[in-house]
Amino acid sequence: MHYLFQISLRNLLRQKRRNILLGVAIAFGTMVLILASAFSHGISEVLFNEIVVYVSGHVSINFSDNGNQFAQVFHDGPRVLDIVKKEVPEMRNVQESMGVMARAIGNGKSDNVIMIGIDLKSGDEKDLQDAEKNFRMIVGDFYDLGDSTIENPVVLSEQKAKYLNVKKGDIIRVRYKMINGQDQASRLTVVGIFKPANIFMSAPVFLEIHDIKNIAGYGPNDIGTLFISLKNPKKDAIKIANKLQKKLQPSLAGIYGDLSFKEVSAQSTILGTKSDTASRNFLARTITFTDSTIKVTRDAVFISDSLANVLHVTTGDQIQIDFKPKYPDQKGFGLVKITGIFSPNKTVPSNVVLVNELDFYKVFYSAWPMNFMENKASFVPDTTNALYKTFSPEWNLLSRVKTTEQMTKQMREVGSKRIRGTSVSVQSMYESASAVLNLEVALHLITFVAVMILFFIILIGVINTLRMTIRERTREIGTIRAIGMQKGDVKMTFVLETFFLGLFSAVTGTILAFVAMKIMSMIKIDSGDNPIGMLLSNGHLHFAPTAVSVAGYIILIVFIAVSTAYFPARRASNKSSAEALRHYE
Amino acid sequence: MNNNFGGIMLRTLVVILTMSVCSVYAYPKIDSILTHIDNKYSLVTDVKSRVDLTQQKVNQGAKKLQMTYYRRDSDKSFLIIMDAPENEKGNGYLRMGDNFWMYRKNTRTFQHINRDESIGGSDAKGDDFEDRKLMEKYKPAVDGSGNEIITDDTLGKIEVYKFEVAAKVNDVDYPKKIYWVRKDNYTVLKEAAYSQSGTLMQSAYYLKFTTIKGRDIAVKMLFVDEFEKGNKSVVEISGISIDKLDNDIFTKAYLENLSK
Repeated sequence: MHYLFQISLRNLLRQKRRNILLGVAIAFGTMVLILASAFSHGISEVLFNEIVVYVSGHVSINFSDNGNQFAQVFHDGPRVLDIVKKEVPEMRNVQESMGVMARAIGNGKSDNVIMIGIDLKSGDEKDLQDAEKNFRMIVGDFYDLGDSTIENPVVLSEQKAKYLNVKKGDIIRVRYKMINGQDQASRLTVVGIFKPANIFMSAPVFLEIHDIKNIAGYGPNDIGTLFISLKNPKKDAIKIANKLQKKLQPSLAGIYGDLSFKEVSAQSTILGTKSDTASRNFLARTITFTDSTIKVTRDAVFISDSLANVLHVTTGDQIQIDFKPKYPDQKGFGLVKITGIFSPNKTVPSNVVLVNELDFYKVFYSAWPMNFMENKASFVPDTTNALYKTFSPEWNLLSRVKTTEQMTKQMREVGSKRIRGTSVSVQSMYESASAVLNLEVALHLITFVAVMILFFIILIGVINTLRMTIRERTREIGTIRAIGMQKGDVKMTFVLETFFLGLFSAVTGTILAFVAMKIMSMIKIDSGDNPIGMLLSNGHLHFAPTAVSVAGYIILIVFIAVSTAYFPARRASNKSSAEALRHYE
Repeated sequence: MNNNFGGIMLRTLVVILTMSVCSVYAYPKIDSILTHIDNKYSLVTDVKSRVDLTQQKVNQGAKKLQMTYYRRDSDKSFLIIMDAPENEKGNGYLRMGDNFWMYRKNTRTFQHINRDESIGGSDAKGDDFEDRKLMEKYKPAVDGSGNEIITDDTLGKIEVYKFEVAAKVNDVDYPKKIYWVRKDNYTVLKEAAYSQSGTLMQSAYYLKFTTIKGRDIAVKMLFVDEFEKGNKSVVEISGISIDKLDNDIFTKAYLENLSK
């Protein structure tokens, strides 16, 4: 075997010019293949880590208060954050995503803007650096966003600053809707102007997330949409989304507190009841009213006859609810108007008030109550209770969707306000950012097709050259066969020669590819407003070669070269020595 | 001297008490004004009218919308059919109880929308066409001493009460409003709406009225955007009919058929 290696290597050197040309062609093909692959992977990395992360997160938990898509708030924020931190060890970080549409007025100019929140406090050093990387400040300091001595500091792109005619230190007045739906006006102080790193950053204005939460009316325990960044999004996004879906199942919502009317008070459990027609009809059939004319309407509030006697209330009276909230900085309070009195039974005992879900959630979410199930005096319906499914849950967990179309349909459904309370949905990037992911697939496909076309052109040249080599050496084959070399060895000589040629060329091509990547990634590209800018990382081409793909491409190229050499080599070796010696061109 | 001092004290006390009593009874309670306004504007009958909305925006020129408006408060229903501009003609909005749909003529589809959705791309929203009592939304605002904030004022030559109300529910656009109402019949002539931060956001002027069944109904209103100066909308109502409306009007089928 050793001598076959020697012969093969010596043969490589016999026809230097041809082999060098062939080697250059293979090396060039390898270089293009690796470059294209690294560029394609680089785009994926940019899309996944710099675009998807900010557009939708690899996994997101979305909230919608009472069907209002603009009220993206959840009132028991620390609980959800705890679930995420505990259940998703695969995550890189979790951040609140906050975007508020506003009308902005600068110096004599006005425009629509989106106010976006940036979290400068909860991330680590790397998160901050990642955030800062996207803001190439022309004027001002990015970290001034966190300066609490300035009134609502804001940074904006140079295009937006020019449009609004503002400079550093100027005030922008904004009008927007708070999460409770009220119109609000605020003043923002321009602390910096930046050159946008991509097209998505030109339109919005950026505030520190706590400032934006404050002006939009979020309470200290309220959170907005959560974006979760994963270390390995492609592998884990769907798995994590499904896992979170299971962990975010709501319990039954209930309040244990004091009911009072005038000077009298009594303790009671307050439960919400669903407002859809089926639930209302079922409730009407299940409980007995003291007055048979009572109807279960959408604004129904029912109190037991014994509680009504204690409080001296009747239909039409407004009772006050006071309860202990989960978070001490709040005050649990609400008012409801009684619309009917029922006779208690096993399903709904005497210390219960049933409140239509619209009014119930208003009280429940105003100050998240202590878990009523932990109070021994409280009535806690179990799953065998006939009305269990009629009682309102803490929130409405929407089912997982698989496609963007399903997601859009679901959002429309929520927007129609048929869903009361807070809707919670868990989405992976495959549903929420499918447009970006489709772009990635399309770019991969285009790159792959272009490279393959180029590569096959080169391959045809390689095959042709090999065939010429073998034909030229036919008489030589006859000679070595005549002096006793076996068929297999003849074939192996050609195969090994091609193998070494392919291997050396592929390795050279790989080295060249890395050199080219280094040079190209050093070039600064000013894409301006061109959408292509979103494929750049901080104004540079981003290449991300992987060891597996580089090794894979070298093996592929060597394999293809050897395969193309194998058949002419076999044909040559199958010739009898006499026939080969007679060969003449 | 003691007697003299006692006399002065007594007189001072009488003056203070008289002033207090006068100040308490000089103005009507804001709640009663709000109730009066609610009763004045609530419809006891169905109504059909034509609404012309002219919206002026800075650097955008004027946008004119014309619509036919049907309203029945007994079941919280209303129907809006767009008559102009041409690109909006045939589109409509139907409110029935808690449901609110937008109808698009081009696609012949109904879409569930929120109350705060824009009507015909204007600044008017679904809930502007609802009948919602002021007393359900606002309560009298009080000053540091706990007194209701109400004073005398004049608008032109008309004597008015100027009073302030604060939102008692969250789902209102503005948490603070100031009203100017005629002293003689509590007709609202002007209102100013403030944001939570205290910024004046919008002023509304009620310019013309007509009397139907003894009730004054504003038929021309001017809404001035105080946040973005130069933006304003004029709403004119004409062709008011208070005949009972057919039940079929407040249906999807009616809206679809009208647009054919």
